[in-house]
Amino acid sequence: MPNQNNTVLVIGGGVGGMKAAMDLSEAGRDVVLIDQATTIGGLMTRLDRTFPTNNCDLCTISPNLSENARDKHIEVLPLTQVSGLKGQAGDFTVTLARAPRYIDMEKCTACGDCHKAFPECVRFEPGLDHRAPTCMRYPQATPQAFSIDMEKCDDVAALVNVCPAGAINPDDGERVEKRQAGAVVLAIGAELFDPSRLENFGYGVYPDVVTGLEYERIMSASGPTGGELVRPSNGKPPQRVAWIQCVGSRGINREDVPYCSGVCCMYALKEAIVTKERFRDDIEATIFYMDMRTYGKDYEIYCDRARKTYGVRLERCRPHSVISDAASGQLAISYATDASSELTTEQFDMVVLSTGFRITETACQLARVLGIELNEYNFARTQRFSPVATSRPGVYVCGVFESPKDIPETMMQASAAACLASKNLAPLAASGNGEAMLPPERDVSGEAPRIGVFVCDCGQNIGGVIDVEAVAAYAGKLPGVVLSQSAGHGCSREALEKIKAAIVKEKLNRVVIGGCSPRTHENLFQNTLREAGLNKYLVEMANIRDQDTWVHKNYPGMAVAKSKDLIRMAVSGVAQAQALSDNTLPMNKDVLVLGGGVSGMNSALELADQGHRVYLAEQAGHLGGIAMAVRKTLEGDDVQSYMADLVEKVSQHALIEVITQAIVVDHSGMPGMCKTGFQIGPRMYYRQIEHGATVLATGATHNVPRMYRLGEHAAVTTQIELDSLIEDEPERVKAWGQLVMIQCVGSRVPENPNCSRICCQSAIKNALRVLDLNPEMRVFVLYRDMRTYGFSENYYAEARRRGVIFVRYETDTPPEVTPDGDQLEIAFTDPILGRRLAITADCLALSTGMAVNEEATEDLARIFHLTRGLDGSFLEEHVKLRPTDLAVPGFFVAGSVHAPKNIKECIAQAQAAAGRVLAMLSKDTINLGAMVARVDPEKCATCLACVRACPYGVPFINEDRYSEIDPAKCHGCGICASECPAKAIELTRFEDAPIMTRLEGLLERSA
Amino acid sequence: MITAERKPLDEIMESIDGCGRILLVGCNECVTVCAAGGRKEVALLASALQMASMKKGRTLDIRELTLERQCDPEYVEELTPHIDQVDAVVSMACGCGVQEVARRFKKTHVYPALNTKFMGASEGPGIWAERCQGCGDCLLGLTGGICPIARCAKRLMNGPCGGSTNGKCEISNDVDCAWHLIWERMKELGIEDRYEDVIAAKDWRTGRGGGPRKILREDLV
Amino acid sequence: MEQFEPTIVAFCCHYCAYTAADMAGSMRLEYPPNVKIIRVPCSGRVDAIHIMKALEKGADGVLVAGCLEGDCHFKNGNVKALQRVTALHPFLEEIGIEAERVQMVNMSAGMGGRFAQIATEFTEKIRELGPNPAKAGASRLAAS
Repeated sequence: MPNQNNTVLVIGGGVGGMKAAMDLSEAGRDVVLIDQATTIGGLMTRLDRTFPTNNCDLCTISPNLSENARDKHIEVLPLTQVSGLKGQAGDFTVTLARAPRYIDMEKCTACGDCHKAFPECVRFEPGLDHRAPTCMRYPQATPQAFSIDMEKCDDVAALVNVCPAGAINPDDGERVEKRQAGAVVLAIGAELFDPSRLENFGYGVYPDVVTGLEYERIMSASGPTGGELVRPSNGKPPQRVAWIQCVGSRGINREDVPYCSGVCCMYALKEAIVTKERFRDDIEATIFYMDMRTYGKDYEIYCDRARKTYGVRLERCRPHSVISDAASGQLAISYATDASSELTTEQFDMVVLSTGFRITETACQLARVLGIELNEYNFARTQRFSPVATSRPGVYVCGVFESPKDIPETMMQASAAACLASKNLAPLAASGNGEAMLPPERDVSGEAPRIGVFVCDCGQNIGGVIDVEAVAAYAGKLPGVVLSQSAGHGCSREALEKIKAAIVKEKLNRVVIGGCSPRTHENLFQNTLREAGLNKYLVEMANIRDQDTWVHKNYPGMAVAKSKDLIRMAVSGVAQAQALSDNTLPMNKDVLVLGGGVSGMNSALELADQGHRVYLAEQAGHLGGIAMAVRKTLEGDDVQSYMADLVEKVSQHALIEVITQAIVVDHSGMPGMCKTGFQIGPRMYYRQIEHGATVLATGATHNVPRMYRLGEHAAVTTQIELDSLIEDEPERVKAWGQLVMIQCVGSRVPENPNCSRICCQSAIKNALRVLDLNPEMRVFVLYRDMRTYGFSENYYAEARRRGVIFVRYETDTPPEVTPDGDQLEIAFTDPILGRRLAITADCLALSTGMAVNEEATEDLARIFHLTRGLDGSFLEEHVKLRPTDLAVPGFFVAGSVHAPKNIKECIAQAQAAAGRVLAMLSKDTINLGAMVARVDPEKCATCLACVRACPYGVPFINEDRYSEIDPAKCHGCGICASECPAKAIELTRFEDAPIMTRLEGLLERSA
Repeated sequence: MITAERKPLDEIMESIDGCGRILLVGCNECVTVCAAGGRKEVALLASALQMASMKKGRTLDIRELTLERQCDPEYVEELTPHIDQVDAVVSMACGCGVQEVARRFKKTHVYPALNTKFMGASEGPGIWAERCQGCGDCLLGLTGGICPIARCAKRLMNGPCGGSTNGKCEISNDVDCAWHLIWERMKELGIEDRYEDVIAAKDWRTGRGGGPRKILREDLV
Repeated sequence: MEQFEPTIVAFCCHYCAYTAADMAGSMRLEYPPNVKIIRVPCSGRVDAIHIMKALEKGADGVLVAGCLEGDCHFKNGNVKALQRVTALHPFLEEIGIEAERVQMVNMSAGMGGRFAQIATEFTEKIRELGPNPAKAGASRLAAS
């Protein structure tokens, strides 16, 4: 029976797969997340830092990993592959092949004893050292368990015996399981090209030639060198480092692929910046590149910063080879520049090869199993105007397996795939209340503390260093403690049951766990308390493993003393703990979508199709937005028939109300229940709409800079006008003898420093189409860098093949345009000839790109309290991991209002925004959390300190003349509480009193 | 708002020398807003006094209390239950608060912990600047809303002195020349012509020149 | 006389410094056990009073550890924390407590090595400074 299924199979546990899984589980869907590797995390966990913020990746992603591991809706199956897919969308039967781990996950505590016993065998730094029988890829790996490669283990019995938990099972074998799923999301990513297949760069021969990913590992704090940047050949810091771009990409040679991998320019810049910023700023960093493709949001500014602030040298040249100089131990690169026809040779200490994405043979096999079509490079083929839908209904794709892309775009596609996948599932039942199965919470207020202390031994991890019984006995004498005992592996199911029983039997009202880190296990013990009928905030963990026995094992006496200190601190802290409830309010399930362009309509349609009432408000008199002016995509698809169909679907949908000529004038409420006021129609009548979430898809505007005689001379057009001209007046276009295009008009300039991303594609598209009309026409494209990323590179290659002449210009010698009757004379400098040339053109098409709609974004930012970036566009919650969520909860962004995008990319983000809204609105109540700042009105002096200090602008002085903090908006950092000169603000769970008692507990000298 | 700054710790320590039990009293009005004498500063000073004493081998019994407003007798009354149990009161209010406590509790030593500075405005988080000297005869209407009495080092009433350079006062480059500000403001208001109007010699008797002042509102008495 | 073992309180933000301390554990990097961590949601939650009370109650040194600059989970909590620590230094000098006893440090969650290094160096520094003079005075009092 179809559509009874609530499960989605997500294949691939990288950032994309995790994101899709988390979105789905947030939306109340069940997910089976499989990965063929031993842990989830994928490629991103191997990166040192990510552009453009240069943040630490592990820091950014590890919360996601542990969130994934503990989420009840997500079943993580590592070491698992799909071996069959039967049925249809809504009702698939999946066959899973699960490889043996040889470790019982229920028993394994990730203690690492097996790793210690076989240290030489552990693969800790992927890519840079040898394979191992047991393998944990990085310190925060999820699941936190090791795996064993039995074939490489010589002494199985010794390995089995080393495990204190008895978790090693040498008789484990491959298992085959069948699962039901309503949809499949493919997020398998890709591999990076292996340059050892090329001889010319010496990779694999010269140790100081490394790939970009290996360079990341060398720089990484968790990497093989412990975060020291050194040359693999001699362990000394490098003085000169070179990057070579497009290794294996954008080529026609053996082993090359023609497409552009889209991310390597940015990662090379990042690595160069981090090299100078984190290590030594006198390290010379040089990047050899063909076109600098920094086309993403704020990426151009990043590139400028690399050049100007950090002095990263960019050399436009594709060096042929790297030659090792045996005498000096250095690597020589010969290259040519515009300035000289001679080859220049330079010596470097390290050469980094920027390798791009390749689809693996495993991926092709998987595609065959799933029955989906691949394109000529084995990437998943997708629907023309549905960028995450594969050729098989019910199977969706996101991330690099769809086409080369960076993390934010992967995240957008992941949310989009989650959105479309959930369409194939059974309608979400009135959310089943998991709480119903739990016993009622016992009211402990007013009771004197009855604290239970449970001290874990965690096998040898704690028990091998300190005497757990003695520590427990000590804790038993602390004030308020009525029960103190050792708990073995406290996190094991057995121990948790014992703790629960003790809570009930001894009428405990507070619990302290002496064990590992609350970062990883607090949630588990909170749930245990809740299951035993206590409020979850009445537990505190003393981290006597990670922060004590693990680091002081050589000084057991001091480790014991410290464990007592930490437990004493936790006991005094927990005595102060109060039962807290996460406040809730009813959720309004209706959605406001602002902007009736291609993005807004797609968001509205997806949401309405999945049962939400949508108000689609458009400022203009009709739906369509700027896509109405576009006729064809680069791939040749008819935009107008797609738009007509879309407008029709939206207008006819029973759950969508289209409101045109609507201007937002006010907004109030909180995420999940808010009101937005509009002035509507020529008479500007006022209407207020109540809704739970808001999608901003208000688009961008055409940039029309008054340059190169645009608007003055009839022969000067924009690319968008040319696009229409080709369709409407082909005879006129046909008659042209010479056509000139100028790129980056009004983009990548001081007034508008960012790249408009779509103009190179538009220029190539129009160039090819005019050549279709008149193959004899001479087409010149004056450009700065051709940014035909991904597969659009193929069209760039085709344009060159068909005779389009591409000439680079520098900003200090821009083209000059002089009218010549109906024609124009265009003068420019040819960098290869080094001479100024002039051509007469019948038409000059300017690639003017898109610009932020300054007025609209400013108004909306003010009304919705949204923050804007330097370019005026709305700031995302997290540029990397949450590119569709805005910093204010309940607001989502889609399409070119976020950053310039082509139609497919707009659709993906529109579906992503819909997916994010579905996740948010799947709950019936708004959870306000427990860790929020609260103001005592009696104490407030209305001094404005909190108003000024809050990073999110939440506090305000209310009508009753005291500071008010909306718990729905508070992020819980506590900055205001610490700034308040009247001590009128407290952060729940981290009030002054518990901090002080922890201090007292810690510093109290035990006699 | 009245602004104040904490006195040097040594001075406060000296004043309470020999006292073992201290009542440290803050005020939740002006001095809270200028981060000199609110609950938080009271707690910080209490801790500092305690540590300074401990260094000398003594400990203090310090009670902390912050009144809504230390310059109103009703609020000051809240100190009564504590007053017999302490050797001295240390007040973190402005001078008005200190005097109010001293007036109410005639047999208890009251020591100021703050130096009261001036009537000022907040120029941004953490910055307060003098704006008014309470002359009792406001002439801001004549000077474009900028007070030459509070803001000119010489209290000049008719234009700047020769020490005004590039809009700054000769006493310090950090101090704006009040008359420069007045001129700029008049230009913005389009009343440059009024700049030349002579302001008559000021009668300082409305200010401190007339001795201590008092306001009496018969209808409220 | 046996070696002076300082007591050091480290206020560590949940997102970076506390995680870095855990990382030091996973990497088995030794550092002196003198450093005791109190977890806070953000280094911006650390109030000057918390630091003062730590010293008053007998800590010989206090570390405030937040995320790297620019990486604060709450935008600028670590900047606020640094401002507070900096403002506290002259006050401590007034009391007669060396300003070096209170230090703001930054690290990312992955920097287990940095945490261990800072913990070691700071402990060494405080050991050289000797006991917190306030605590020393109080214990003289107790002895007499």
